[in-house]
Amino acid sequence: MAREIVAAIGTGQTEFKRHHSDKTYVELAQSATKTALEDAGLHPDEIEAVVFSMAPTQFAGVNDIDRWAIEHVWGAGKPFMRVHTGGATGGSAFHAGYFHVASGQYRTVLVVGADRVAETPDAQHVLNLIWDKFYEQDFALNTVTMTALAAQRYMHRYGITEEQFARVVVRARHNANGNPFAHLKGDISVEDVMASQRVAYPFKRHDICPRSSGAAAVVLANLETASQKCTSPVFINGVGAIAHSVFMGDRLGFWSDTEFADHDGCILAARHAYRQAGITDPVREFDVAEIYDPFSSFQFPQLESLGFCGRGRAAEISDRGGWDMDGVVAVNPSGGTLCTNPIGVTGLVRHIDAVLQIMGRAGQNQVSRASKAVATAIGGSTQFFTVSVLGSDHVGIGRGA
Amino acid sequence: MEVYVLGMATHSPADCIADKRLEEMVFDTARAALDDAHLTRDEIDHVTIAGCDEFDGRSISSMLLSAPAGAYLRDEIKCTDSGLTGLCLGAMRVASEILDIGLVVSWSKSSKAPVEDVMRMRCEPFFTRPIGLNMAISDALFAQAVSAEFGFGNDEPSEAVVRAYQRASQNPRGMQRPVPERSDIESSPFIATPLRRAHCAPLTDGAAVFALASGRWLARRPHIEPLARIAGLGWRTAGYSLGRERLAGMTGFRDAFQDAFGKAGVSGPGQLDVIELDSQTAYHALAFERSLPGANPQALSPSGGPFAQNPYFCAGLVNATEAVLQVSGQAGPVQVQGARRAAAHGMHGFAQQGNVVAIFERP
Repeated sequence: MAREIVAAIGTGQTEFKRHHSDKTYVELAQSATKTALEDAGLHPDEIEAVVFSMAPTQFAGVNDIDRWAIEHVWGAGKPFMRVHTGGATGGSAFHAGYFHVASGQYRTVLVVGADRVAETPDAQHVLNLIWDKFYEQDFALNTVTMTALAAQRYMHRYGITEEQFARVVVRARHNANGNPFAHLKGDISVEDVMASQRVAYPFKRHDICPRSSGAAAVVLANLETASQKCTSPVFINGVGAIAHSVFMGDRLGFWSDTEFADHDGCILAARHAYRQAGITDPVREFDVAEIYDPFSSFQFPQLESLGFCGRGRAAEISDRGGWDMDGVVAVNPSGGTLCTNPIGVTGLVRHIDAVLQIMGRAGQNQVSRASKAVATAIGGSTQFFTVSVLGSDHVGIGRGA
Repeated sequence: MEVYVLGMATHSPADCIADKRLEEMVFDTARAALDDAHLTRDEIDHVTIAGCDEFDGRSISSMLLSAPAGAYLRDEIKCTDSGLTGLCLGAMRVASEILDIGLVVSWSKSSKAPVEDVMRMRCEPFFTRPIGLNMAISDALFAQAVSAEFGFGNDEPSEAVVRAYQRASQNPRGMQRPVPERSDIESSPFIATPLRRAHCAPLTDGAAVFALASGRWLARRPHIEPLARIAGLGWRTAGYSLGRERLAGMTGFRDAFQDAFGKAGVSGPGQLDVIELDSQTAYHALAFERSLPGANPQALSPSGGPFAQNPYFCAGLVNATEAVLQVSGQAGPVQVQGARRAAAHGMHGFAQQGNVVAIFERP
């Protein structure tokens, strides 16, 4: 149990799309901030600290671009820091904001970020630069080929087919129809996914997320402020994170502590978060899972690592509709990362979509009586995992109660 | 704040550490900090990294460096502002009582980082980049602004450099460079008026690591004596625009100190036995001195600050190690006798856009 109870009391997002030709980077960040502050009923002066969520700035072409945005998010003169853990950045930034409040140092924190991934002609060229200059960059290694290797291994271990991955895409695109902020929408079929251009086996074009631009923000507060400002605060009842080795080869085989294909670093992060939140039976306790899935192969191993089903079972449950809006657990009712991936804030968007579900404000995508949700983010060489447990009630009493 | 320093380490500084890759520097320093704290890696539950992709020359550089930093299968997070900002985040993680014991790890291989190129690319593309703003020019604008604000005498910058090198020459953990003559400083080339090359602290390679523990963790281990308690933290980041008020107002610097003072229960700088300042240039040193009225001049940067060693991104965290050495009575030749409370300052961004302060007390 944390020293102080922490709640999300307001959220803001822009529309996500390939280009925002009408707004600069800092204006995007400001737009999401303004919406979140209005949603929380707070004046900018009432925000005590700011955490900025931004992954590699090479996509947008301005180093440490958060510094440019400080005045635009009303952060000038305040405690301000940027968090960056690759694709996990939004989850880590959410956690950093949580620690600002849970530590008792601040009562209100704005967590905000923006990204313009499509500013660079080829994001995968930038992402090739995450690899070792001497050993790996020449191998055409990027996040697509990296993930394809893990997906092949997962398929081999559990007998999963490309069509089963394709059904994840079909569900995501369908769910995104009801999300006003989603980038890719529109119903497609398994056949459409299978017929799309091959990129790296087993991935076709539709198995892969888009390059999105946009911004997201959330206001976190201690219990006293949350009680004053929000009729339906969403409590952060558990947070966990794990860093793994960058080397994929060290994460498989007899000598490895974990299994690369299973995303089982996620187990360790979830175990820590669940312990804080008192979660013992995830599939019965969670109503919603907003998980980080930039590729169609990400959902199954992650759901298994989060304890929703046994290893190798998630695809079969998916085939039966178990992860649909009206399934055993609604997985990514927002459409998830497969439909929207502004890398620097993607994890934050996952958390915001989970918060909106628990607040009962998810619109067409609302899951009936949603009261507990789990949100994740993943970064690096599928090596950084964050897990957050959110709920309509808080666990423990904290010192602020 | 019930957060304690169990141990720490800095990497030996050099103009260029050519015999180690960055991950070896980070591993060796993290290993040394664990040893200093008498901890094994199994005992830590988290790591907070402060690093900068652009200075590391690699996107998501923590992918490679998190494991050498001790974060393999541990809760890890990275902030990108400065090493001392990492200490603030790490301390809040411990103070939350969700995590108990962890490392704060930061580094800077300045010899490999084209700092001016990195800073130039920090310019937004519409105004400051086309006019060619960089670190030297922004520091020079700062120097002009604070010179006008505080009325520095003609000799003061050179004298400040000499004083800094005199202190640094006594610091066994620094580069121990020879103390220059004023004439050497005043004949060094201008890099941007009024800033001369010798007014600036030379960049070095280096790394710093802290081992932090919660009060509740220590309460279960009464035999362990921490080096220091983190009494207060404060940090502020000013706006991006380099207007006169932003450059000369010293508002972020003063507010960061005031915030830390308030949290530490300190009434002002006069109550600090040591203040290790991140004075990247002589003008910064002079402006900081003027902005800390009541501070004992002997308390200011006894280590020599960045003029002793200057791994740019983590210079503030190196200052924090010096502050902790002071309150634990281990600062050696630069020890301030009887030091019980010390502050460390770090800065980051164009013309000290960000200021960070940590106050340590003898437990």
